[in-house]
Amino acid sequence: MNDHYILKKDHLNSLLRRLMKEYRLVAPTKNPHGDTLFSIIDSIEQAHIDLASQPQGSIKPFLFPQQEVLFDYEHSATIDYHFEHTPDSIPTAFFGVRSCDLSAVLYMDVIFSQKKRDPYYFEKRNEAIIISLACNEPFANCFCNATKTGPFLEYGFDLQLTDLNDRFMVETGRAKGCEIVKRFQHFFEPVEERDSKAQYQAFLEARSHFKQQVHVEQAIKRLAREPIPEEIWESLSLRCQDCGGCAYLCPTCTCFTITDLATSASSGRRIRSWDACTFSGFTRMAGGHNPINSRTHSIKQRFLHKLKYDVQEHGRPSCVGCGRCVGICFGGVDIIRFINKACGQN
Amino acid sequence: MTNSINEIAQAQVILVSGSNTTEAHPQVARRMFDAIDRGAKLIVIDPRRTRLAEHAHIHLAIRPGSDIPLLNAMMRIILDENLADDLFIEMRTENYHALRDMLYQLDLDETAEITGVPLAKISAAAQLYARAQKAVVCYCLGVTQHICGTNNVQSIANLAMLTGHVEKEFTGVDPLRGQNNVQGACDMGALPGHFPSYQPVNTAEYRTKFEQAWGTELSGTPGLSLMEMTHSGPQGAIRGMLIMGENPMLSDPNLKKVEATLKNLDLLVVSDIFLTETAALADVVFPAASFAEKTGTFTNSERRVQMVRQVIPPLGSCRSDGEIIMALSQVMGYDMRYESMAEVMEEIALLAPIYGGMFHDRIEGCWGLQWPCWNRDHAGTSFLHKYYFTRGRGHFVPATHEAAAELPDADFPFILNTGRVYHQYHTGTMTRQSSSLNREASEALLEVNPQDAARLGLRTGDWVELSSRRGSATVKAHITEQVAKGSVYTSFHFPAVAINLLTSDARDPKAQCPEYKVSAVRLEKINP
Repeated sequence: MNDHYILKKDHLNSLLRRLMKEYRLVAPTKNPHGDTLFSIIDSIEQAHIDLASQPQGSIKPFLFPQQEVLFDYEHSATIDYHFEHTPDSIPTAFFGVRSCDLSAVLYMDVIFSQKKRDPYYFEKRNEAIIISLACNEPFANCFCNATKTGPFLEYGFDLQLTDLNDRFMVETGRAKGCEIVKRFQHFFEPVEERDSKAQYQAFLEARSHFKQQVHVEQAIKRLAREPIPEEIWESLSLRCQDCGGCAYLCPTCTCFTITDLATSASSGRRIRSWDACTFSGFTRMAGGHNPINSRTHSIKQRFLHKLKYDVQEHGRPSCVGCGRCVGICFGGVDIIRFINKACGQN
Repeated sequence: MTNSINEIAQAQVILVSGSNTTEAHPQVARRMFDAIDRGAKLIVIDPRRTRLAEHAHIHLAIRPGSDIPLLNAMMRIILDENLADDLFIEMRTENYHALRDMLYQLDLDETAEITGVPLAKISAAAQLYARAQKAVVCYCLGVTQHICGTNNVQSIANLAMLTGHVEKEFTGVDPLRGQNNVQGACDMGALPGHFPSYQPVNTAEYRTKFEQAWGTELSGTPGLSLMEMTHSGPQGAIRGMLIMGENPMLSDPNLKKVEATLKNLDLLVVSDIFLTETAALADVVFPAASFAEKTGTFTNSERRVQMVRQVIPPLGSCRSDGEIIMALSQVMGYDMRYESMAEVMEEIALLAPIYGGMFHDRIEGCWGLQWPCWNRDHAGTSFLHKYYFTRGRGHFVPATHEAAAELPDADFPFILNTGRVYHQYHTGTMTRQSSSLNREASEALLEVNPQDAARLGLRTGDWVELSSRRGSATVKAHITEQVAKGSVYTSFHFPAVAINLLTSDARDPKAQCPEYKVSAVRLEKINP
């Protein structure tokens, strides 16, 4: 059973400042050009923490960077191969993470611990505290209600905040969250009955504020039952511009490629970078043959992975309904359009 | 563009000519898709079956170089069907009779025959375009890179004026500019005969204005166009060149001539961010700063002037283009000094009327301003030619068919068309440095129609010796129905297949734009 507390908004900055003494703080910040992005906060006074807009990216890059040096290597006639990995594990508090993005982290936890735990991911993940913010007001392209990854969560967070106008309802989830409440007890007040009612009310109202009607369950069932007509793959793939924006912004897309970058004749570094299944180079073989026709089926793997293979493998889809791919796509080849088409709507 | 890019999404009919929009202008293609989703109809004029053509409601797959007959046929059909906008013609245009007389002399069947498109299809497209309330034309290098490029563009203008599809929001004629700042370069007078803001050098009034501002005497004689310079030959009049951010050793047609010119200069100075094929020939190379290392403005296709801001200090000994020009001119005895790019912008506002109201403080923190923007209080202009054309009345210039300079024959039986691929940009100076872009497209592929391939015994992946009267290149074949029978197509991004060794340097006499889109070539399979 989660414990509930009240944190008055007046004291939020003070709490964050306190956390910053021990953690690197990452929160959605509006930059001078009007874009809201998860950024590292150096000073609470100077940063414009923005909890009113959807951050353009998720916290994926902090746990699984777009480019990451796995290790440096050296080799010479006298020394055998020498590998050196510099760990990147700064204790970090992520504040204002929405339910969808937190669900995505939970999914990455699973993906990066299949068979063998991925040390590069977990050196960062183990040092992370996630303070999530439940969504009272879903954004334009959100459909986490349909993927069952929001707008409120019951587990997975360290702390979950619910905005109740002048105060936050604070719920403890995992042990690290409980520890924060225990250590900074003076910030947290007991919950009154009206607060619980207000949270319940916010919970109910949020469900009716979704602007998108997306039938994820229906699409999953159809995908499990029968193949999707070829015309649907073709009509969508023809509009795909192969930019990879969907995969890069997607909080659950974790495909990567590995390259060795020689820094001299005897040394170099191995780098892991994001990749995307929509790129033709992702599947093209050395001789030039591509088992996937990148013109007519470029997006097939992406949608099947999200809505079919992951359901088979992990029992749930790996789309968390954040809607970011809807906003970024040049050609309107987003997952909402696909789901609607798969459900026989246009 | 007479329109703004966003207006395209609201058009009812979009006529795209000679533009591989999805690959070359994806952000524009995005608006086209939005329009199609809203029920708009798309007409694509292109010899190739491009990705956009697959979305088209009508695809007019013309023979390369037959744009004028096609547009004339469309206009004649519009007259015959009584779909011309008489009121617009009366109120806003001149010289209509010349166009009408020319159109009435056309033999429609004969004209359609030149284009290779069935007349019924041309008629359907003409009526669709003419009947729409809001119709835009987007065109690109497939229209301009012909010996009759100027006439092609004028014919598009004729079509738009004949149907009154200008001067209103969501209707207009939109050349899609290929580079982030090519519009800005033209606006700033990087043209042979104009000062900034298209003020001719041979008009004393303008010249005096700039002479006073710059405190020096200026020539009233227009300079040379690009091709007149890079093709001036080993004994040409030009003895020294400063080339900034341009790679003619890969991008200009008939490269052997370019090489002969550049190698025989007394002095060649190249300024670029990487050592390009052109820079490799230079006596002096200036390392230039990239977009991230400098502050200034870029002007895009829709005439929008936007800030670009320095985010990192210049690496190594790089300097911004502005600093390079200032340092050079100081050495050469002209004391050019601007404290900041904001000061340069102030001078632009003073001297270039269409930029009259553009100052850094106005374009910072927003999406910039679209010219003409006459003064500080002016909000900029989202679409052109409202109430009247810039020159007063729109002048109809009738044009007739002009065959490409080099047609296929027994020795060189194929038409070579060149263009771009999505993952590479122009001569690849920047994009070829990126491993992920190179993984997507790392070599030139020669698109060959399956029927031709069968005849030549070619399969995808086979190597082909491609030659023209000017040179040859070895390129990998890619068999696809995207190209018509008798035509082949490839890109010019890769030095390994320097396709411009082959291309024709015949050019439009007015714009001096080379005919990259039609060269006669021969294919020979190379047996391993």
